[in-house]
Amino acid sequence: MAIEVGHVFPKRTFVVEPHRVAEYVTALGVPPENGWSPEVGQAVPLGFFMYVTSYGAEDVHDYLDFNLLNTVYGGTDAEFLETVRIGDVLTVAPVVSSLTVKESKGKKLTFAEITCEYINEHGRVAVRERSNTVEKVG
Amino acid sequence: MATFPNPLLVSPEISRLQLAYMTVAMRDPNLVHMEDEYAKLSGLPKVIAHGTFAVSYVGAALSNIVGVNNIRRLKVDLTAPVFPGDTITVQLLDVEQEGGATSATLTAVNQSGVQVARGTAKWLTPDSR
Repeated sequence: MAIEVGHVFPKRTFVVEPHRVAEYVTALGVPPENGWSPEVGQAVPLGFFMYVTSYGAEDVHDYLDFNLLNTVYGGTDAEFLETVRIGDVLTVAPVVSSLTVKESKGKKLTFAEITCEYINEHGRVAVRERSNTVEKVG
Repeated sequence: MATFPNPLLVSPEISRLQLAYMTVAMRDPNLVHMEDEYAKLSGLPKVIAHGTFAVSYVGAALSNIVGVNNIRRLKVDLTAPVFPGDTITVQLLDVEQEGGATSATLTAVNQSGVQVARGTAKWLTPDSR
């Protein structure tokens, strides 16, 4: 199935749970004395949005159908419009916002940009995050 | 204009155990972070860290100095793989203040000085609010 720009994935709503932030902080190996001790009400670390974009995003992986062996994460561009705190409820419906195919050194490179707008309980976009995934073939 | 420490942050040495934690936490299906033999099929010498590590260390470095609530934009491009055993150092390159906002460019390098990520950021200048 061809990837279509504008494709919208199913909406999901989730709570920014302390244990999910704890898992993230533990994996990073950053000690809690840096202010990352995850408790309800604390501001969520910035990198968490790249991380949270991935969990529960199996449908995105399935839709892109990239060969994981040849796929790399390219980066992120995130706008922080409102502070998100642990315990907040967010809703997101990822969108395929861009698709670019390039040829380089005999390889076909497909760049897929996924945009996630995290909407808070007040109906406002709190974070807009664009991530890039690249598949190399050839 | 405020002065900032440089480097902003030096990460812990990234371990394979951390990669395992991140794989489970992110539900990441890509074995390139877990199995050396699989990673070698991609032309890599061994497993690589998730991109989350470099992005998060840049975000943490910035948050530590300007406060997470002040940051309005963070763009990070990954430029080279990060391997277990690597230590990431985040440095501030240029800082420009205009009105109530400050913009900066950042770089993240490994222990050999190889750039693994580069970024730009914008934050509200606390003194101007």
